[in-house]
Amino acid sequence: MKRISLPGFLLIIGLYGTSILESCKSTDIDAGGTSSGSTSSGSSTNSSSITSTLSATTASSASGVAQVVTLTEAFKATLSSSQLTATQLTYSKTNAQKWSNLPAGMSARYGISLGSLSDAQLVAFRNLMEAVLVLGTTNEGYDEMIGNLVADDYLNTIGGGASYGAGNYYISILGTPSTTGLWAILFTGHHYTQSYTFNAGAVTGVTPAFRGTEPQAAVTAANRTYQAFEQERLAFAAMLTGLSSTEQTTAKLSGTYSDLVLGPGQDGKFPATKSGLQVGTLSSDKQALVLNAIKLYVNDLDATTAATVLTKYTSELSNTYVSYSGTTAMSSQNDYVRIDGPSVWIEFSYQGGVIIRNTPHSHSVWRDHSGDYGGN
Amino acid sequence: MTVWGIVGLPITATAHPMPNSVVLLNVHADRIDAEIQIPLVELQSAWGHAVNDSATGLIERLGPQLRAYLKNHIRPQSPDGRFWSVSVGELLVHETQNPIVGVYRELTAQVQMIPPGQEDVRQFTFYYDAVLHQVRTHKILVSVRQDWGRGQLAEAEPVQVGEISLDIVNDRVLPLPVNLDEGSSWTGFLSMVKLGTRHIAEGTDHLLFLLVLLLPAPLLVAANRWGHFGGIGYSLTRLLSIVTAFTVGHSITLLLGSLNWVRLPSQPVEVLIAVSILVSAVHAIRPLFPGRETWVATGFGLVHGLAFADTLTNLQLDAGPMALSILGFNLGIELMQLLVITLTIPWLIMLSRTPAYRYVRVGGALLAGVAAAAWIIERLTAHPNTITQLLESERTRAVWLLVILACFAVWTSWRSRKNDQLFASRK
Repeated sequence: MKRISLPGFLLIIGLYGTSILESCKSTDIDAGGTSSGSTSSGSSTNSSSITSTLSATTASSASGVAQVVTLTEAFKATLSSSQLTATQLTYSKTNAQKWSNLPAGMSARYGISLGSLSDAQLVAFRNLMEAVLVLGTTNEGYDEMIGNLVADDYLNTIGGGASYGAGNYYISILGTPSTTGLWAILFTGHHYTQSYTFNAGAVTGVTPAFRGTEPQAAVTAANRTYQAFEQERLAFAAMLTGLSSTEQTTAKLSGTYSDLVLGPGQDGKFPATKSGLQVGTLSSDKQALVLNAIKLYVNDLDATTAATVLTKYTSELSNTYVSYSGTTAMSSQNDYVRIDGPSVWIEFSYQGGVIIRNTPHSHSVWRDHSGDYGGN
Repeated sequence: MTVWGIVGLPITATAHPMPNSVVLLNVHADRIDAEIQIPLVELQSAWGHAVNDSATGLIERLGPQLRAYLKNHIRPQSPDGRFWSVSVGELLVHETQNPIVGVYRELTAQVQMIPPGQEDVRQFTFYYDAVLHQVRTHKILVSVRQDWGRGQLAEAEPVQVGEISLDIVNDRVLPLPVNLDEGSSWTGFLSMVKLGTRHIAEGTDHLLFLLVLLLPAPLLVAANRWGHFGGIGYSLTRLLSIVTAFTVGHSITLLLGSLNWVRLPSQPVEVLIAVSILVSAVHAIRPLFPGRETWVATGFGLVHGLAFADTLTNLQLDAGPMALSILGFNLGIELMQLLVITLTIPWLIMLSRTPAYRYVRVGGALLAGVAAAAWIIERLTAHPNTITQLLESERTRAVWLLVILACFAVWTSWRSRKNDQLFASRK
């Protein structure tokens, strides 16, 4: 009888032992996971390869919706069927509103990430973005976009980890690209979101557009120094310090703003009453300073689109208001400025550092009272 | 728990890059105790004082002013228009973090809010605008962390009641209407029963202690060693008396502890619990205290009860709900113990009649001994080790051990009976 029970006992020990061994294995996998986590610093090299592929710009050809449709189709043609499923979505306001200024790891995006694109696919993406953004202006337009991705790559390497970097920016196509119907391109990642809405062969919306950068200071990549969003900060400072002290008092808001008011998710909530200083009461050189700040947003776009939008904002300039909080230098945390017109809405917030502590960085949003999401 | 309150909530929002304030409500029958968490960086922007730039010694320096500020901006109002009385208790500054904003310093304030007269605590208009009166982009997330009458205990994730933030279109801050569902003592009692069962189901150490203590119970002692099966009557009597003794022991300290009459620091209690398993494991191999198991079970029960009491005192309940809670919690513990025992004992008795039981007893005791030793080390050093982590991750698979035990018991008894028959027929 002992001979029978002994194997039974061994069976119990064996089974229990197996489960222990299994757990050991799972610990090993955990350890493996940690080590693969550390290779994410290696993926920053990939991210850099993303920005170096993207920064090899070519001479721009004629733009226009027909051209954008062609380039969008060309980009789509490089994608595998599963990549295409992720990228080509139906047009809906809900899909269009799915953007954020948080890293994609903390607020999921639709579309396909740059990190999952091959070099050939990245080139097709580049060709498309080159057609909708202005080329050849340092830290503006297409160059500003690259500078933004470069800054995020930098955050990845200095402790931000895998949530940050150019690989975490997503592009999606909402609706079928055409010169007749309604469709949109949405490019969104941590500190950069740009949406374009097209309808009946025309550009009907170029907002919401989010810009920002951490660090605010210059970042070097591929033999270039980028400071993607510094010109805007300086333009606001010039605009505010250009005002007389009486004008500054009128423009000053009583509240403190540690972030944007109309950031992601705050759609269609424009204040019923405009605050601050009416631009029409200003001298023409001061009005020009306001327009200069606006131009740094509008002129990011391809020249044709930018010209149309700028004509409208210029015609509405006298009924546009500027207001600010904090200091006029736009150099300390909680410095905040707003341009609110009949159509234009621009906010700039100089706020606390996240990855780089105790050093402010910028967040900014450009919206349009009637043109957000193409007015849809 | 606090960490979850901070980390867990802001992520659910679409985009709150700045750290939010959090208000956690502990709902009692006649008052609400709130824990208020305010990021210092935002408080500084709102209040002017350099609370974030020089956070060291903040409470000593600015305690009275901080309390006055909070009282000014926390104003619950009953439906009849009367404001509640608000008092600000303990203030604390500490560093915390969330993935969106990284590391930041925060003030936590314990605030007591009492409605006038006999007004209902479950319905009020929450005028709260600390920080937000000045920082227009600030957001305040209001959640219920504990509501005994609704069966919600602080162990679970807080339930969000609403968010107080700027009404952008009209540029104003509106108060938050709070309307909590009616609670009842029965719901509270039931939730405590559930908490008790869960406490045992998840308290591997309590269970292990009991099981190891029961291992040798069906056996007779012969010459200072564990001998043969003592018969079903003998086994059941001994099992029952051990379990009852343990229950009596932990009920006494649970009562004393949860009423705050006896309070021991939890670390030595946790170490003692692990020691109790080790001692029982040795006893299961060689009788250490034969015939005195009942007393030992009572003694160790007293220790385990102190640990149970910790769970209850952390709830900070009033006398009435506390009495019901002690009862419910204890009932839950007993029910779960009873379930485990009824599922295990038949197999132990079945096995103890066969010689194979020796291996089960010694093997089980050895494994329990190793676990106990690992727990002792963990609880002394405050660092988890490989074995305790293993126990934690494999806890849910304990059911399979029971299945194996049952199969083994049935199989061994069947073989043993067949052998007996064979032996008898040859005779």
